[in-house]
Amino acid sequence: MPLERVSQGFKDISMSFQVNPLTFDLIATKNETAIARSLRNLVFTLPGERFFNQNLGSKVSRSIFENIDDISASILSNEIRNTIKNYEPRVDVIAVDVSPNYDDGEFNVTIRYKIIGVDALPQQLSFALQSTR
Amino acid sequence: MALVNFSNLDFDQIKTSIKEYLRSNSNFTDYDFEGSNLSVIIDVLAYNTYISSYNANMVSNEVFIDSATLRENVVSLARNIGYVPRSRTAARANISFFVDTTALSTNPISLTLKKGVVCTTSGSFGNQSYRFNIPNDITAPVVNGIAFFDNVDVYEGVFLTSNFTVDSNNPNQRFTLNNPYTDTSLINVSVRNTSSSTVSRKYIQSKNLFDITSDSKVFFIQEIEDQRYELIFGDGIFGTKLENGNYIEVSYVSTSGVDGNGVSSFIFNGRIVDNNSRVVSTGISLITVNIASQGGQEIESVNSIKKYAPQIYSAQNRAVTASDYEAIVPLIYPEAESVSVFGGEDVVPPKYGKVFISIKPYNGPYVPDSVKDNLKAQLKKYSVAGIVTEFLDLKYIYVETDLTVYYNTNSAPSADYVKSIISSNITTYADSSELNQFGARFKYSKFLKIIDDSHVSITSNITKVIMRRDLSPLLNQFADYEICYGNAFHIKTCDGYNIKSSGFKVSGLLDTVYLGDMPNSDQKTGTIFLFKLDSPTQATIVKNNIGTIDYEKGEIKLYPINIISTLKTFQGNSIIEISTAPKSNDVIGLQDLYLQLDINNSTINMLPDVISSGADPSGSTYLVTSSYSNGTLVRS
Repeated sequence: MPLERVSQGFKDISMSFQVNPLTFDLIATKNETAIARSLRNLVFTLPGERFFNQNLGSKVSRSIFENIDDISASILSNEIRNTIKNYEPRVDVIAVDVSPNYDDGEFNVTIRYKIIGVDALPQQLSFALQSTR
Repeated sequence: MALVNFSNLDFDQIKTSIKEYLRSNSNFTDYDFEGSNLSVIIDVLAYNTYISSYNANMVSNEVFIDSATLRENVVSLARNIGYVPRSRTAARANISFFVDTTALSTNPISLTLKKGVVCTTSGSFGNQSYRFNIPNDITAPVVNGIAFFDNVDVYEGVFLTSNFTVDSNNPNQRFTLNNPYTDTSLINVSVRNTSSSTVSRKYIQSKNLFDITSDSKVFFIQEIEDQRYELIFGDGIFGTKLENGNYIEVSYVSTSGVDGNGVSSFIFNGRIVDNNSRVVSTGISLITVNIASQGGQEIESVNSIKKYAPQIYSAQNRAVTASDYEAIVPLIYPEAESVSVFGGEDVVPPKYGKVFISIKPYNGPYVPDSVKDNLKAQLKKYSVAGIVTEFLDLKYIYVETDLTVYYNTNSAPSADYVKSIISSNITTYADSSELNQFGARFKYSKFLKIIDDSHVSITSNITKVIMRRDLSPLLNQFADYEICYGNAFHIKTCDGYNIKSSGFKVSGLLDTVYLGDMPNSDQKTGTIFLFKLDSPTQATIVKNNIGTIDYEKGEIKLYPINIISTLKTFQGNSIIEISTAPKSNDVIGLQDLYLQLDINNSTINMLPDVISSGADPSGSTYLVTSSYSNGTLVRS
């Protein structure tokens, strides 16, 4: 019988750098929240943005200036899925839904994933990709 | 765990150190995941550390003369030990011309050639026009209506002047020459009390503090940024201190250096005035060039500064040991490409009290006699009393290579293509400083590697090494000769004919003869004989025992012999080429021998490697090349 991998939990620092008023420690993000933040960071990081790691990140910024249609949505979906697969080993992606929102000129992204080694329900992360400059 | 490893210069290693620290000292866990916020912060910290480490490393490198790379820093460090790097040197030509004043209405007593431009290159010289100047006025008397300007040294470059007024209220005043590429030996400085004063005093450039008093009219120079120069005047203790309002006039030449060499045709472009300051522009003859321009040199390189600054410092302006001479000679004769010095005690038989110097100049094979005399006089200032300096003309020892290169025909476009790459690589090696210096060594294994690495198709090579010296005989007179190779000879066959020579004729014999050798039974020494060729493979000995050969010392001695002509000449001089295989394939340039790889007499044979290419995997038709063949009887 294969061993089941159980994580002891994930703990990351919050980029808000706010201080807990009771303990005066920096606020930390944990487990599902930390992983969701990590996924978001990966999607919004441009390749070449991180020092000495040219490939880290996703190339979604290249596609969001294309025509808003199903083809672009499909390209974005693949790009997001590949990025997560390559750089976030803690999750197992169930689906990446990218739907064009013609009225607002944006793509609505919903990532559904399962956290490996944590006894939790499948997670969902949603955000919009807009061609803002 | 403490963060202890701060010597890393690699970003990833720094990052790993920080992660290791967090792993044992923090309850955060996400640093291992690239998408986490903590990972971003670690990246920033590691990058900051990396930049700091890099800067610290660069700074510490630039602090020491051995590791500094920026010229400004190397020069500054050399300055601390009293070394001023050599400037760019202007090419110098020697010209003569005359001015016929008989057509002038006035009869001048003398004519003065004013400093500055005298002549320019006639036509274009390498698509460039060069100006040649004199640093000081030259006056010639008019005799029978003609003024001769004989043997005038002119210097290539742009003649420039700079003036400064001393401001004692400004403690930071600097006297810098704004143009780069200055030849510092041509800087002329004169100082007037004020700008309106008519009397000026000439200041002399000094390189040390010897014999300098508080009244000495001297200035010093130092190289500053961008290869420019700064003038430094005395402080009232060493050299006269300048007063407020003194007016400094500086003239100098900004030169093209080595590009100005080789000009042998000029047209007059100078300015001549008579004794009444009237300009003379007629009656000027064509310019006769006595010596074409030569001696132009680039500024001393960073590598050279690193090499010579510590040597000059250790020599302390005294030429005592051989290395002292080797450091000082390039200082007073910048055209020296390589210098070899050895004491008389090292020669056979010993000549005590003498120092022998051989110099390879950048331009040409030999140092002119006039320069040797000048060098001797200059070296006296440095050398120990009683030591006699002697200059030896350069003796070249040539290394010739006979290459057989096997190549895989499947990987090479053509044999000629591969051959041209090999030839180019060998030429680069032949021109490198590894060979072109005294005490150089032809490194056989390195040479083989150069050939093997020339192209991917090359599978192996068989390289035979031959060393050669050229004998310049005294024609039509009896003379004995001694040719030293400084490397032991290899006896390929005890039947003789190990040495090969080019042909020559001797008095009393009709045929063209060649030198041959016959080893004695000890195989350490042997005798030299003359032979003639009946056919390329058939020789007849015409005279035995005309000299001796020492295979161990690498020395050939010929008893008195009257050579009347030779088959080969070099630059108009008759020569006899004498070559042989060295005992060791690593050939050294011993003492005053200057080693050169002779590309023109080296051969490259390309042979297909039928085994590697798959044409004949069994190797039945593989062409075998001997590594030891003795070759032909004579040099062609």
